[in-house]
Amino acid sequence: MTTEAEPAPAGAAGPDDAEVGRRFAAGEEQALAWAYERWAAQVHGMAVRAFGPGPDAEDVTQQVFVSAWTGRAGYRPEQGPLPAWLTGVCRHKIADTWARRDRQRRATEAAVAELNAAPAGGPAPVDSTVADRVLLLGELDRLGQPQRGIIELAFFADLTHTQIAERTGLPLGTVKSHIRRTLERLRDRLEVDGAALHA
Amino acid sequence: MPHCTPEDLGLAALGEPLADDEAAHLADCAACRGEVARLRRVVDALAVPELAAPGPAVAPPPGLWAGIAAATGVAAAPRADVVAASAPAAGPVPDVVPEPLPAPLPAEPAGPMAPVVPLRSRRSRLLLAAAAALVAGLGIGAGAVALATRGDDGVPVAATVLDPLDGSDASGRAEVVERADGTRVLQVELSAGAPTEGYYEAWLLDESVSGLIPLGVVRAGTEEFELPAGLDLGEYPVVDVSVEPLDGDPAHSGVSVARGLLDA
Ligand SMILES: [Zn+2]
Repeated sequence: MTTEAEPAPAGAAGPDDAEVGRRFAAGEEQALAWAYERWAAQVHGMAVRAFGPGPDAEDVTQQVFVSAWTGRAGYRPEQGPLPAWLTGVCRHKIADTWARRDRQRRATEAAVAELNAAPAGGPAPVDSTVADRVLLLGELDRLGQPQRGIIELAFFADLTHTQIAERTGLPLGTVKSHIRRTLERLRDRLEVDGAALHA
Repeated sequence: MPHCTPEDLGLAALGEPLADDEAAHLADCAACRGEVARLRRVVDALAVPELAAPGPAVAPPPGLWAGIAAATGVAAAPRADVVAASAPAAGPVPDVVPEPLPAPLPAEPAGPMAPVVPLRSRRSRLLLAAAAALVAGLGIGAGAVALATRGDDGVPVAATVLDPLDGSDASGRAEVVERADGTRVLQVELSAGAPTEGYYEAWLLDESVSGLIPLGVVRAGTEEFELPAGLDLGEYPVVDVSVEPLDGDPAHSGVSVARGLLDA
């Protein structure tokens, strides 16, 4: 819903994108190869935007396709195109990589502090934004449609509620109230579980 | 004037302009502004450029598929020329490479004082190695961590999930069980492909990751290690699994694949 399927590259034979999505969900191996041909550059481009070109971006790209394949039971073709789902998986992998780096940073800072016999200032603080992202992306996964598609257009495509109504064909009031309820749900998740996470 | 509607507060949190009346009220009302600020935290966390809808496509390097094929066991392969043609070949770097991230690793390796910070250059190789082993049937599938049944002669006193580090697919669970005679055993349940070289070893680390106690070799599945008497788990609460080369060096290799913090 949030990501328009790119047209298949010129000269690429094979079924259309929707059919690739259905065959992917059905576990047909050729569909993974087709998905890679069509959307690996898009996924890798996202990872490069987050980490710059190099091993981190490449690791994330690999993880996205491996997780998407092993977790294909979680993909519902009727809920949206496969590239949009891959984009969502990529968001998780990017956020996970941030969180891992944060853990490593804290471990390293603690080690250095100990070696320098620095006065104990307690463990280095958790980067709460990093933890918030992992938590909230998980909560997004729990949303049904059209709530999820609406909030993704607001967050990730930077559309106004008017533009979202035009794009989805839903009434303006419906879009506004879905946005409100989803934001409140995510806020509650942060304030309840986020607080425990950072404690 | 009454408070803003919840719908308008949501739009304000997203940065959308409000009608003049509403905007004027918001400017003056601490209650409404407070509510916007709470919602805004959600928006600030998620509506960031790095997570936005895909921007410029960047063709992945040719070798990337091999790791995916190895990890999934899928025999079908994408056509290299089609992949290469799927993004402008001349421009592998997007216009804007953002500042590196909320939580980058320190630029300088911390040297001997931080022996278990994983080494960057080994990362992709590790993923490939672990993935290849999965295909060979040596490992347990990702996400398929089945809890082993354990003997009933013991009381669990601490446990943790072992989270994969640095692109490894290793994960699992660790639990400390106290037996009737007062001895304690650490059970490590590892789901991972066998490394192509070397072996996995379990360690207990202190929270600063600077002090460590070697426990022994771990294979995929469940292993038990008797803990030294008098060992303070509060002091060494981190369970770490590393890949060790067969080089006879008893020190930690610096390549950790999974780690967890025991909740005592
Ligand atoms: Zn008010």
